[in-house]
Amino acid sequence: MNTKNNLIKILVPIIAIVVSFLVGAILIACIGGNPIEAFSYLFRGAFGSASNISDTFVKATPLIFTGLAATFAYRCGVFNLGAEGQFVMGAVASIWISTTLTGIPAPLQLVISIVGGAIAGGLWGVIPGILKITRGLNEMIVSIMLNYVAILFMGYLYSGPLREGSVPQTGSVTARLARLFSPIRIPEGFIIALVLAAVIYYYLFYTSSGFKLRTVGLNRTAAEYNGFPVKKLILISFIVSGAIAGIGGSVELHGTQFRLMSGFGEGYGFDGVAIALIGQLNPVGTVLVAYLFAVLRKGATTMQVGTGLPTSVIDIIQALVIVFAVAGSAFVNLPKIRQVFTNLTGKSKKEGK
Amino acid sequence: MEAIMNVNFIQELLLSMVRMATPILIVAIAELYSERAGLVNIGLDGMMAFGALAGFLTCYITNNPYLGILAGAICGISVNMVYAFCTITLGAEQIVYGMAINIFAPALASFIYKIYFGINSTLISNTLMSAAPIPFLGKIPVLGNVLFNHTPIVYLAYLLVPFTYVFFNKTKAGLNFKAVGEFPKAAESLGINVIRTKYLASVICGGLAGIGGAYLTTSYIGTYSDGVVSGRGFIALSAVIFGRWMPGGVLLAALLFGFTDALQLRMQVLNSGTPYQLLAMIPYLCTLFVLAFFGIKKAGPKANGRPFFKEER
Amino acid sequence: MGIICINIYDLLNAIKQIREWKSINASGVCMKEILRMENITKKFGEVYANKDINLTIMEGEVHTLLGENGAGKSTLMNILIGLYQPTRGDIYRYGEKVKIDSPSRAVKLGLGMVHQHFMLVEAMTVFENIILGVSNDKSIFIKKDAIKKEIIALAAKYSLDIEIDKEVTEISVGAQQRVEILKALYRGAEVLILDEPTAALTDIEVEGLFRIIRKLTAEKKSVIFISHKMREVLEISDQITILRAGRTIATLAKDNTDAAELANLMIGKELVTCEHEKVTDTKENIISLANVSYNKNSKHSGIRDITLAVGKGEILGIAGVDGNGQSQLAQMVTGVISPDHGEVLLHAKKIAKFIPGYFIASGVSHIPEDRNKMGLIGTMSVKENLVLKRLEKPEISLGKGLFLKKPAMVKCAENMKDKYDIRCESIEQETRNLSGGNQQKIILARELEENPDLLVAVHPTRGLDVGATRFIHEKMLDSRDKGCGVLLISADFDEVLKLSDRIAVMFEGQIVGVYPGKNPPIKEISLAMAGKQMGQGD
Repeated sequence: MNTKNNLIKILVPIIAIVVSFLVGAILIACIGGNPIEAFSYLFRGAFGSASNISDTFVKATPLIFTGLAATFAYRCGVFNLGAEGQFVMGAVASIWISTTLTGIPAPLQLVISIVGGAIAGGLWGVIPGILKITRGLNEMIVSIMLNYVAILFMGYLYSGPLREGSVPQTGSVTARLARLFSPIRIPEGFIIALVLAAVIYYYLFYTSSGFKLRTVGLNRTAAEYNGFPVKKLILISFIVSGAIAGIGGSVELHGTQFRLMSGFGEGYGFDGVAIALIGQLNPVGTVLVAYLFAVLRKGATTMQVGTGLPTSVIDIIQALVIVFAVAGSAFVNLPKIRQVFTNLTGKSKKEGK
Repeated sequence: MEAIMNVNFIQELLLSMVRMATPILIVAIAELYSERAGLVNIGLDGMMAFGALAGFLTCYITNNPYLGILAGAICGISVNMVYAFCTITLGAEQIVYGMAINIFAPALASFIYKIYFGINSTLISNTLMSAAPIPFLGKIPVLGNVLFNHTPIVYLAYLLVPFTYVFFNKTKAGLNFKAVGEFPKAAESLGINVIRTKYLASVICGGLAGIGGAYLTTSYIGTYSDGVVSGRGFIALSAVIFGRWMPGGVLLAALLFGFTDALQLRMQVLNSGTPYQLLAMIPYLCTLFVLAFFGIKKAGPKANGRPFFKEER
Repeated sequence: MGIICINIYDLLNAIKQIREWKSINASGVCMKEILRMENITKKFGEVYANKDINLTIMEGEVHTLLGENGAGKSTLMNILIGLYQPTRGDIYRYGEKVKIDSPSRAVKLGLGMVHQHFMLVEAMTVFENIILGVSNDKSIFIKKDAIKKEIIALAAKYSLDIEIDKEVTEISVGAQQRVEILKALYRGAEVLILDEPTAALTDIEVEGLFRIIRKLTAEKKSVIFISHKMREVLEISDQITILRAGRTIATLAKDNTDAAELANLMIGKELVTCEHEKVTDTKENIISLANVSYNKNSKHSGIRDITLAVGKGEILGIAGVDGNGQSQLAQMVTGVISPDHGEVLLHAKKIAKFIPGYFIASGVSHIPEDRNKMGLIGTMSVKENLVLKRLEKPEISLGKGLFLKKPAMVKCAENMKDKYDIRCESIEQETRNLSGGNQQKIILARELEENPDLLVAVHPTRGLDVGATRFIHEKMLDSRDKGCGVLLISADFDEVLKLSDRIAVMFEGQIVGVYPGKNPPIKEISLAMAGKQMGQGD
């Protein structure tokens, strides 16, 4: 029975993806392009050469972090829409640490910096959490407002106090994350993301604390009646979710961008939410869907160069995946539809006396 | 500091406040209709973006900003119908689906823009809606300029407030509408068609949100860019909460945010010493503090956010 | 000749009809039959909720439907107001057959129902609630003054005291009820159905309600009064119909019966055959409550000054109709709510913290009243629900929850499944797909395997079939025999009688009597459940 449910859970996003590509193909045809040609450029862009493959991993890394952040939060029934702000604050903390703590060996500085990013992200994430628990405030609006505050704060920093040179951006960090496994050159950040995904998977499904966290997200009343510390778990989910996003920002800084500038972290937050939803709130799903999104993003630029079609087509396909995946999940959960499925498998839904 | 006490400055400030509050007001009222019917729609940002694009494009092609507003409304409604179907009929979680709209609609808007105008980075300009000062009233010193010297959409926005008030408090339809958001089961038992009311609320919400977005590109500034909405949809959401789901309260909230926005812009000009980002934070921080101190859990239509399924016979 | 025959035939027919739907009531006033339900049968699957029910309502009479929980009263009323369709049977209005296929049809036929849980929009005023959904004129605006006048006149006609401009949250429960009655009258109701109307009222408010009912009947409206409270039934009714197990047992005129007879007809048993030994004394108390109150002023959802104890190795059954404070008692002894006054001792120690975790750690297990909302995680598997409370035990995990041993979880769950006869295709199945009986067994397994000192079981066999019920009872008795104390709260009187070693009756938030479980005085107990003490005047 569980396999049947799992099968449905995997099929829904896959069908959503396929349908979205179909719609995208129709869209491309409508504006006079050739879908097959367009998609071939897309895949070439993502996988065509060693450096392309490497770039895809690079693009996937931050998405995995924000996706994991959203997954973790939503598993506890909490909507963390502030991943972008937490991502940025993580990077801000890292930049500050990097510029202040000079004179220590690079690996140590890196570790402290990433830990700092986690703490900053966690703190930025706990604000909506505390407001939710003490005043019952809707965490979505709070976290989104904090997003804007964080982005503006970062803007202030790289235009002002931490600015280097005439262009508004900070100086670059010296401690950097390397690329591994030449010639594919997987960024160390990607490895860190995978490790984090594994840790979260382990926590959610192999520890009692993770189990309890999941019950809070599924049935808060029952969790309370069974003696689980509901408020504590909710707070933990906010903090950890924020910390994950903060690590993401830190890793992005040390691994890819090396400096703060306009557009740092843009869009990763909401994409992360989408990735979490499509990936059925499973860390493994999150990694896969994040990678898919990265494929789309990387391939889009190549497609644009090759065929003149704007990258927005890919944005739409990406958005359609979300629309169809969520609608699909809701659809298969309708009581009438569940009845259809059980009838199809031929066995009786309720066991007899 | 004398600059601040200058009458001209105050007049400019208040004028700005009214203009900047407008999109927030329109969209907040849109959300008000939606939430009064029990549908929490956080996809406002997305609908605004799409409405902004529709308005801009239509205005550019037809040179008629009013058609742009109309186009904005139609596009807003279309986008919201997707939300409506998935939440009302399929029972998808409203908040999740609102997020989906927030991702989908701007992507669509961006796509259409790039298809039409190409992928360059220069901003295309538009004919702006011209101000339509109300005769006689517009001539009153100071106040006349502030209140009666605006584009018609601004007037529309402010007229929406008493209209909505009358609708909800003085008409039968408005009363039945509110019941749907408070206690759908009771409403259904009294013969009110809950599903139809929810769809109607979605139409109104989409239309007004689309107009709010279109206002940005046809009346407010004459260009379209991907970040044109910059979170106003969410500020509108908090205006609904802050305004306690009442049109008058929403008006005050919108004016407050408009004021902080106008103020921070003016202060940027005055204190060129302070980095503009810190000032730009003010509206968002303001929203936060207002929510933290005045947001109360229990307020709002009682059945808000919950899907409604008819009893099976 | 033919013409004369036909005329005589018509005349005889007319006389027959007159005899059938007019009758002379006790005061010699000629009464019309308004409503007749004939041989109404309603089946849900294989279960008969109503079987061959006959009910006749006369104009201007108060007709009480008396019966326990599950006797079929709600189903019958739901048929009358158009929410259900009868499997068999007919309904007649003023002698003409009608089909009530929707609530709005019922309203048009003059049937108005005041539900036990009011259908009032709290944020709206009395006025707004009354006019909701009604459009008697063509205007889009609410003609407030004109309609208000209409409503006030209508209210005055029936002595319904209302504050028309106040919000529903600002008025008392009794006032809310008057609004519901007025709502029905405003829509032209001729028959008003009142479902347990006195459940949430104070004594004074009950008197007020009765005055209103008398006014209604004086104005030729009929009232169907659903209740289990003997005193009130005997005071207000003209006719009483007793329902038991879905059938009409008897219809009696009030003047022809008394409380004892009614209680007997309602419960339907004289003797209880017991298959197991009853415990008659206990050594120590597991849990004791002394003068505990919570939400004191509510008769419907509060407890007032309760003193109670559950001993080791005994089953204390709380009898009483649902809604007399039982839910709150259950929540109190499992740590979900904490008392406003009074003291609760667990293992003779004061309670440190009223949180479920503390109680669970102290050996209290709970079978909650709503298994899906409070007990189970529907979308999690059977296995996961079974091991929910043992996640930190050494056989299930290493390091107190740091590593869950999946095979151990499976093994533990399989054991529980076999031991408690949980029927499912696989323990990986989603719990929400199981039948109610098996879901309840999951909770039973989970709770009893903790070897608790106190088991709090609330409506443990509600909605379950005979087999599942028997199984659960057996397990509960086993547990008791091992020394566990059991607090059984149930609206199923049979169950309480069968299992309890001692029986306490709860009525309006108080304990109104404690009786032995061996050879229980059934009449006394059922009277206590209805709020009357034995020996009090009828």
